[in-house]
Amino acid sequence: MKRICAFGLAVALCLSPAIAQTKKQLALVTNAAADFWTIAKRGVEKAQKEHPDYSMEVVITGQATAAEQRRELDDLLARGVSGVSISAIDPKNSTAEFNKVASKAVLFTTDSDAPGSNRAVYIGTDNVAAGRQAGEEIKKALPKGGKVVMFVGTMDADNARERVQGIKDVLSGSNIQIADIRTDGVDFAKAKSNVQDALAKGGVDCLVGLYSYNTPQIYSAVKEAGKTGAIKIVGFDEDPQTLRGVADGTIQSTIVQQPFEFGYQSMTDMIKYLAGDKSFIPANKLIIIPTRVIEKTNVAQFQDSMKQLLAK
Amino acid sequence: MMLPKKELGLLVLLVVISAITEALNPLFLSGVNLLDMANLIGLFGIFSIGEGLTIITGGIDLSVGSMFSLLGVIFIDLVANWGVGWPLALVAVLAGGLLLGAIQGILITRARMQPFIVTLCGLLIYRGAARYYTDDSTMGFGYGNDADTLSWLAAGRSFGIPHSFIFLIVVSLILGVVLHRSVFGRYLFAVGKNEEAARYSGISTKLVITGAYVLSGLLAGISTIFLVFYTNSVSPSTFGNFYELYAIAAAVLGGCSLRGGEGSILGIVLGTALLQVLQNLVNILGIPSSLNFAVMGTVILLGVFADQQLQKRRAVAISVAAQRARPAVT
Amino acid sequence: MDPLLELVGITKVYPGVTALDDISLCVGRGEVLGLIGENGAGKSTLMKILGGVETPTAGTIRIDGKDHATLNVNESMRAGIGFVHQELNLFDNLDVASNVCIGREPRRFGLVDRKQARARVAPLLERLGADFGPDTAVEGLSIAQQQLVEIAKALSIDARVIIMDEPTSSLTLRETERLLRVIAELREGGVSIIYISHRLGEVKSCANRVVCLRDGRIVGELAGEAISHATMIRLMIGRDLKALYIPPEAEPRQGGCELRGVITPGFPNRPVNLVIRAGEILGLAGLVGSGRTSLARAIFGIDRISTGQILLDGTPVDITSPRQAIRHGMYLVPEDRKRSGLIMEMPVVENITLASLGVYARMLLVNRNSELAASQTQRTRLTIRAPGDQTQVVTLSGGNQQKVVLAKWLSMQPKVVIFDEPTRGVDVGAKNEIYILMRELADRGVAILMISSDMEEVIGVSDRIAVMHEGTISGILERPQFSEYNVLHLAIGQELEMAEAQ
Repeated sequence: MKRICAFGLAVALCLSPAIAQTKKQLALVTNAAADFWTIAKRGVEKAQKEHPDYSMEVVITGQATAAEQRRELDDLLARGVSGVSISAIDPKNSTAEFNKVASKAVLFTTDSDAPGSNRAVYIGTDNVAAGRQAGEEIKKALPKGGKVVMFVGTMDADNARERVQGIKDVLSGSNIQIADIRTDGVDFAKAKSNVQDALAKGGVDCLVGLYSYNTPQIYSAVKEAGKTGAIKIVGFDEDPQTLRGVADGTIQSTIVQQPFEFGYQSMTDMIKYLAGDKSFIPANKLIIIPTRVIEKTNVAQFQDSMKQLLAK
Repeated sequence: MMLPKKELGLLVLLVVISAITEALNPLFLSGVNLLDMANLIGLFGIFSIGEGLTIITGGIDLSVGSMFSLLGVIFIDLVANWGVGWPLALVAVLAGGLLLGAIQGILITRARMQPFIVTLCGLLIYRGAARYYTDDSTMGFGYGNDADTLSWLAAGRSFGIPHSFIFLIVVSLILGVVLHRSVFGRYLFAVGKNEEAARYSGISTKLVITGAYVLSGLLAGISTIFLVFYTNSVSPSTFGNFYELYAIAAAVLGGCSLRGGEGSILGIVLGTALLQVLQNLVNILGIPSSLNFAVMGTVILLGVFADQQLQKRRAVAISVAAQRARPAVT
Repeated sequence: MDPLLELVGITKVYPGVTALDDISLCVGRGEVLGLIGENGAGKSTLMKILGGVETPTAGTIRIDGKDHATLNVNESMRAGIGFVHQELNLFDNLDVASNVCIGREPRRFGLVDRKQARARVAPLLERLGADFGPDTAVEGLSIAQQQLVEIAKALSIDARVIIMDEPTSSLTLRETERLLRVIAELREGGVSIIYISHRLGEVKSCANRVVCLRDGRIVGELAGEAISHATMIRLMIGRDLKALYIPPEAEPRQGGCELRGVITPGFPNRPVNLVIRAGEILGLAGLVGSGRTSLARAIFGIDRISTGQILLDGTPVDITSPRQAIRHGMYLVPEDRKRSGLIMEMPVVENITLASLGVYARMLLVNRNSELAASQTQRTRLTIRAPGDQTQVVTLSGGNQQKVVLAKWLSMQPKVVIFDEPTRGVDVGAKNEIYILMRELADRGVAILMISSDMEEVIGVSDRIAVMHEGTISGILERPQFSEYNVLHLAIGQELEMAEAQ
């Protein structure tokens, strides 16, 4: 046993510098495991095809904790990674770790920013803007005003707070009230029972799912309660169930990001950066990839493109 | 004559909490809310009973939550991606639960490893396997049509009553008889209270303990199906996370002692019901979601504390009675 | 001699057992009182009451003419009662002075004043003739020296009565002699001592007076010249040995259990050959660790035998688990009934039917009524004194608990029953009932092997005695050869001198 270990170690020691020398490594570190990141991975794969002289990988942070991310970053650094694009889970408390990465490699943030760190650039959504888009959709859904309950995994995450902020910006002063925000700790079953409880409690006109899995859980709970149409739904992201809900009219609309672009641009821009070209970075160091509103009119076409991206 | 005092106490607690909630928001006892709760009690009760059985043998099963994830992704993969018919996929999941339970039971009894360690490793291994199997992506029925017979069986309602709840009643009745009336049930208690004395009485203690883990695995397999059709998708890294703790909490609230040898099916079901009522009242009363766990923890603590006080009083009463009986004897 | 410490009518009842029954005794100033009695006679309970650890159910403790209904640990200490326990209660990591002063450290500015502590302890050590100083670390001291520290500790609280519980159990002969000298000196100095010991020689040499406890009662008192080995033994045993023996109805019959070259895991090179005849009670004697319990465990299938054969009625049987042993009608009444014999928190009825539950079940479901009927039958037959079938076994007395173990096996079809220390912790009345039951079983044709360390029991109850020494049978005695001397001879591995046979 000992000998095998020693042998393995020796092999690893010989190989790792070899890899580092031949190809520069680039990595995309996710904040969770989701289809969202599968699409981003397709973008990475596209970049990989265009730049075969780099070695690209996507690191999935399955537990969705900052501690796991920290460990993944340390591992990447130990392997001599040249560039990392990361979706920050806990930006405020990860500054030191991120700066360490930035001092040894190129550091981008994507999807979830860490503005306090020395990251070179953020490529992703402006979640406040996305929230505003959702706010407009809620207004469209409730022309006569009403009460809104929102559902989200956790409120610790900045993207959740920013989306809420955007929605609040638009709704303030209108005749629409935000009655409550329920969290579920990324437990799907709890997410669904939260919706059921909100329906049982009543006095609500529109439900908003802030995370990708929240909207499908809202969709199935509303359908099971037989309240299709009576309760409006506005969602985020492009879960297949969400899209189906948009197609059948149960869901007013969903705000989607373009993760494919996150993955693709993260990689191609990192390559530019490594080659010394920093001209693509705007003054505020934010490359915003706009969010889109998917509604009944454009959902069929969007579904097709998703099927293509997700097909293996 | 033997009044199940623990169960009675739990029932009183459940009624009191419900009454308070109802007073604060009359929607609590509305039909819709009660049926939603019944559905969740069904979902969580089935595997909590399995957990209770392992706790009665003096062990524990920490692996159920991860088992849901692994069996869940396998099930969806079989149905959605491999086009396997649902009866076959169902059998595969139940057999999978049975097998994992059996492996754990054998490791605990034959290799004499501690249940906590074996099932903790199960928790880690199954979770990892599920994530690797799916490449860390959420598994759903995708763009296909999932409204088939099994979906109706697992997530549907008959006469308005959720099937998960009906199934829980059936499972409780069967396992209630098994635990409280059958030879195997008596052996479970005997092994949990004093394994050595049970062995000296000719009981195959290893077989009995393994049996408890097999049942727990099987019930976890059944729960997997219900849970999958409740959420319609499985995120391998979060699906069923911490559910083993809900099960342990329900069992302990329901009178199972972590030292083994104590517990009842009725108690476990009532424990599950109480936990779900607590979760529901947090939402219904508009208590911030962040306080959810704190409310649950407080009530469990109070419940177990009150029970312990009652037990102490009962123990004193027994010893007094025993002394009174003695002089007449000698 | 004026009494310093007086106990009046002390009674202590535990759930299930009356540990002390109306104990009255007194200790005079400068007197050494020997306290003797078998294990479980109530000596430790009495001492715990004096030490303030246990509260008596009834009775009064009078110290210096002052009455106390109860004592707590501090009151006991203040009243001048000091202890030297069987197990020493010293802190290895501290020095002698700190141990002596523990809990009562002299302080200066809130800190321990080590200098004063040393000054206080040094004269005490001197008085005891200790060959070490107050600075010595306790770790480095021998058991005898540590005992002196304990005595110094007792003296440091101005103890007027020091209770010594088996103080010489781990001492060498020379150390014992020195302790006895220290006791004599303390007595000269007006300190009273209660000396508890099984070693009657020591008691004889140091005690002015001896009190004997049996089954929680004082059964006799000896003073001065009357103290002798013989008188003390008579008090402790207290009855005629021969009275225990109930002769069998018939000669042993064909069949039974035979061990051929059985080797147990504990003794790899010691084969055991032994025949337990149907209808006899075979006593199995030997010193602790001689392999008796290993043998019982091997026959009952708990430990696998490495080689050899077990024959039942002439046919070899393969026994690899208690389950199989039970299936062959071979039962064990284990030594530690609380651990292995009973499920203490289960009702009487469930304990009785546990080993044969299948009999009371139909379609794998237990029939409560037939179970209860069986329990009632056994309770009547064995006169188990319990409030009901549903009473938890833990609340019963030792004797009745043992009867529940027996009831479990008697409700089945025994062929061979092994009793491992069947009457340990059982009161006298129940003991006799158990002996009668054993004889009844034997008369029904059951082969009985009775392991016992109680010489009185082995000699009194058995039809034959097998003696074990270091894992093997060193000899078998027939009834005419029975004597304590012969059993001990074989137990220490010596050849039996035929001349000694009576």
